[in-house]
Amino acid sequence: MRDWHGLAALFIMPAVFILVMSLALAESLSARQGIAIGYAVLDLDASPVSRTLDEQLGQTDVFTKHAPPSGETDARRRVEAGEIAFVLVIPQGFARQIGANKTPTLRFLLDPAVPRALREGFRQQAEAATIRVWLTHVLERLGQSMMLPELRRVTERVGAPEIVSEAVGLDGGGEVLAPPSSVQQNVPAWLIFSMFFVVVPISAVFIGERQRGTLQRLFTQRVSFGFVLAGKFAPFLLVNQLQAVVMVAIGRWLVPLCGGEALVLPGGASALAALWLLSLAVGVAAVGWALFIASIAHSSEQATVLGGAGNIVMGAIGGIMVPRFVMPPAMQPWTRLSPMDWALEGFHHVMLRHGGLSDALPVVAALVCFGLCALLAAILLGRRARD
Amino acid sequence: MIRIDRLRYRYRAAQPLALDGVSLDIERGGIYGLLGPNGAGKTTLISLLAGLLAPQDGGITIDGEPLAVWRAVHPAAIALVPQDYAFYPMLTVAENLAFFAGVQGLPRRQRQENCAEAMAFACLEAVAGRRAGELSGGLRRRLNLAIGLTGAPEVLLLDEPTVGVDPQSRRFMLDAVKRFAAAGRTVLYTSHYMDEVEAVCADVAIIDHGKVLTAGTLADVRRGGASALRLTLVRPLPEALAADWRARFPAMTATDNRVDFPGLASDGLAPLLTELAAAGVAVEHVAYGAPNLEQVFMRLTHHSLRD
Repeated sequence: MRDWHGLAALFIMPAVFILVMSLALAESLSARQGIAIGYAVLDLDASPVSRTLDEQLGQTDVFTKHAPPSGETDARRRVEAGEIAFVLVIPQGFARQIGANKTPTLRFLLDPAVPRALREGFRQQAEAATIRVWLTHVLERLGQSMMLPELRRVTERVGAPEIVSEAVGLDGGGEVLAPPSSVQQNVPAWLIFSMFFVVVPISAVFIGERQRGTLQRLFTQRVSFGFVLAGKFAPFLLVNQLQAVVMVAIGRWLVPLCGGEALVLPGGASALAALWLLSLAVGVAAVGWALFIASIAHSSEQATVLGGAGNIVMGAIGGIMVPRFVMPPAMQPWTRLSPMDWALEGFHHVMLRHGGLSDALPVVAALVCFGLCALLAAILLGRRARD
Repeated sequence: MIRIDRLRYRYRAAQPLALDGVSLDIERGGIYGLLGPNGAGKTTLISLLAGLLAPQDGGITIDGEPLAVWRAVHPAAIALVPQDYAFYPMLTVAENLAFFAGVQGLPRRQRQENCAEAMAFACLEAVAGRRAGELSGGLRRRLNLAIGLTGAPEVLLLDEPTVGVDPQSRRFMLDAVKRFAAAGRTVLYTSHYMDEVEAVCADVAIIDHGKVLTAGTLADVRRGGASALRLTLVRPLPEALAADWRARFPAMTATDNRVDFPGLASDGLAPLLTELAAAGVAVEHVAYGAPNLEQVFMRLTHHSLRD
């Protein structure tokens, strides 16, 4: 506990991590704000119809519109330079093709580094805008033939349909929940990830004891290996819980001060109790795992590699870095192997789906079992090594 | 008495025996020196005595009782002071003592008394509040020793207790060990510094390859080696004289300006000095008599490098 630098790292690093990730992902995950990804329209047709398409596309507030390029060479240069992510090229004769009821071919220049989901999102918006332009043209012609000029303005009056997002809770009662912010989604994931990094200070202490001969001395004083481990379990569990409180406080108060959205804690005693139990269970799992790694590693280097890489693998499998639903279907069942996935599911039940104690208990039980099994394995391995 | 009886120990099946039938009798209330080159089996023997390893064959008894039985009755009576600084550098001197006294399950009052005695014994009062990691090498050695005393042990196992300290600290440590033994307690002392062992130990054993090469009182062990002559000359021995002496004394060795005659009888000394004078070679230094402990050790362990 006197290793102030190690403890500070245990608190400061995850705090910075949560702050940066919450702010960095705030825009991309928020339904209320645009995405900083920019696009431009290269209108080679320069007709009233193509200008309408340009305007239609500009009405969507998801992507940021930039000044039109002077030509295709300029468009490609700006995409290559990373200035904009997409350029929609409206070909010459676009209006003529629409007028002739022919399907126009629009080209879409894109930065290959942009994620596929965003790419597809922009492409679908462009398609929708094109269809609206084409529909306007069809209605206009129909209005002319049926002597009903107001048909032309139908699409203008109706506008794009509005879809209101509602998150689905666990209560089954149809309570309308606001979609979660990025902070709400990120803090639990990075909190779990950070808590498992208790493996680094525990290993350092444990291996230091072994290398200095302190453990040997304790054994000659008839101190059992289990007692030695228990002596580390309790204080580091406390550190872990403090870590959780600090992380939540950062999400609740510091992130909004830095311009992000505040973490919203669930209301009600049951939900708060569930949250605390989950944090305790993650602590038991993380400290148990850390003691297991510390007891099998022979050097600090080994512990860092085993513990650090093990955490990253657990985080990658467990949906911390890549959400489970984004993974290919064949990979999704594998997430169940990671205790970080169990913990994340528990936190999502409570913080996003507004579940209570009964929803968290199965996850709590699984995490505690994992932690105790890891501790037991550490004791047995330590005993075998001594014998 | 601590009786070690035909003790055998092997770490893994494929490895040679670390201890191969070691038998020693260590009288209570004295300092027993345990000598041996690296890998000789000293640490294994100490680990068995400390209870870190369990005997595979043979046994250890203390006052006639098997070690495990005796330790069950006297759990804090054997203490190991390892060669490494086996304490917590982040804790202060007083906290380290309190911690190691605390884990032994002693009553609070006794714990406090033992800590105070250990601190006074090692003269650590002035640095009680300083972090152990900030202490000098000598103070660390003293803290390492003091921690070993927190359980008020009857038997102290000291593994190279003076490595890396200045002469003053070394002298302090040796005096402290003598004081400890003077109170009727037993010390098993391992060291590579032969002069230290000669200075503090009444009995010694030399072990190598897991076997006891010699054991007994210091005087007996030294007497076990025949008297030897060592001449240090002002210049190398002339070739003609060297050839003559080699023919007459096959065990003689000459290296640079030094000439050794192992097993030389005392009446052979004067003629050799006369022959040197006749050859015009001045003698810088003459040493004759029973070998010191280092010479016995080197002779028994065959001078070879072990690491």
